[in-house]
Amino acid sequence: MTGGQAFLWLLALVALGFCLRRGPGTLRRVGAETGQSLGKILPLFCVALPMAAFLAELMPADAAVTWIGPDSGFLGIVVASVAGGFMPGGPFVTFPLVLAFTKAGAGVPQMAALITGWSIFAVHRIITWEYPVLGWRFVAMRMIAALPLPIAAGLLAELVLEWVPIGIGSP
Amino acid sequence: MINLLRRHASLMVIGTICAMAAAALWQRDGGPAVGRALYHAWELFLFIMPSLLAGLLLAAALRQLVSPGALARWMGEESGWFGLMVATVAGTLTPGGPMAAFPLVLVLASAGADRGALVAYILGWSLNGFQKLLVYEVPLLGPEFAVMRTLITLPMPMVAGWIARKLPIAWEPPR
Repeated sequence: MTGGQAFLWLLALVALGFCLRRGPGTLRRVGAETGQSLGKILPLFCVALPMAAFLAELMPADAAVTWIGPDSGFLGIVVASVAGGFMPGGPFVTFPLVLAFTKAGAGVPQMAALITGWSIFAVHRIITWEYPVLGWRFVAMRMIAALPLPIAAGLLAELVLEWVPIGIGSP
Repeated sequence: MINLLRRHASLMVIGTICAMAAAALWQRDGGPAVGRALYHAWELFLFIMPSLLAGLLLAAALRQLVSPGALARWMGEESGWFGLMVATVAGTLTPGGPMAAFPLVLVLASAGADRGALVAYILGWSLNGFQKLLVYEVPLLGPEFAVMRTLITLPMPMVAGWIARKLPIAWEPPR
């Protein structure tokens, strides 16, 4: 178990303790809700994780170098930002794919831009949630306000990398 | 119809891509390669599972303990940068996927949060949600990268919220 996982369990146990103090009914509701979430997420995992693994195998070893490699610079950051917006699905798809891109030669600032672009634009999430709940005007407002952020994140990451060497993947 | 699509859209899209990728891999490298990829996926699943379970438990517990509407009185139109900061932090602390976060946006809006705060809230959740960070990013991409990316993007929701307040787009929260 990694440090982050232990920390997460600690937080969860503390929160569960507070729930227990409010009575066993609260704890039961927590249990029921966790079960429901698992029921929704597990089917997604069953297709998302194999998909990421297949795509990682299919990608030639240097496929990512030209477009989003470490030397692709500003253009690579733009490409990665846009690509991030079109990544389908939640974090269980995106993070394994980022790992696969990295193995195929993608650069670290470009991946920071990709994750930021995915977080901000995620087209599938806008279509299925943001538009129906909040309307097109809100979507437009948020998109305009956040438009330059993925590119800014990539450029800032490039700046940081000049001072601190940072890689992707568990040590 | 839209409800059915919304509930299963990700599953169908990802399932289709998955099937096509499997077929392509099978044709190029044969059955054993597909098997190897599936084994990798299984390993990844075992690796993520403990944090996923903890994250879901935490999310459910927080929903019972915290009422986000109470925070909205600090997120009004006159709340300035402080309101944007409260909204960003609230977003960062919101666990769960879009099915949990977007309904909360409506709750915040009806409790008095303005559009800048709502933009900051959504971006705080989607950029730096702590659950995503701890369950996926730190274990998969390593703590160094996760910390760097989080620090870089930490102030961004506030900036976007500030810009959103200036934009000449008329928007009223849906009733």
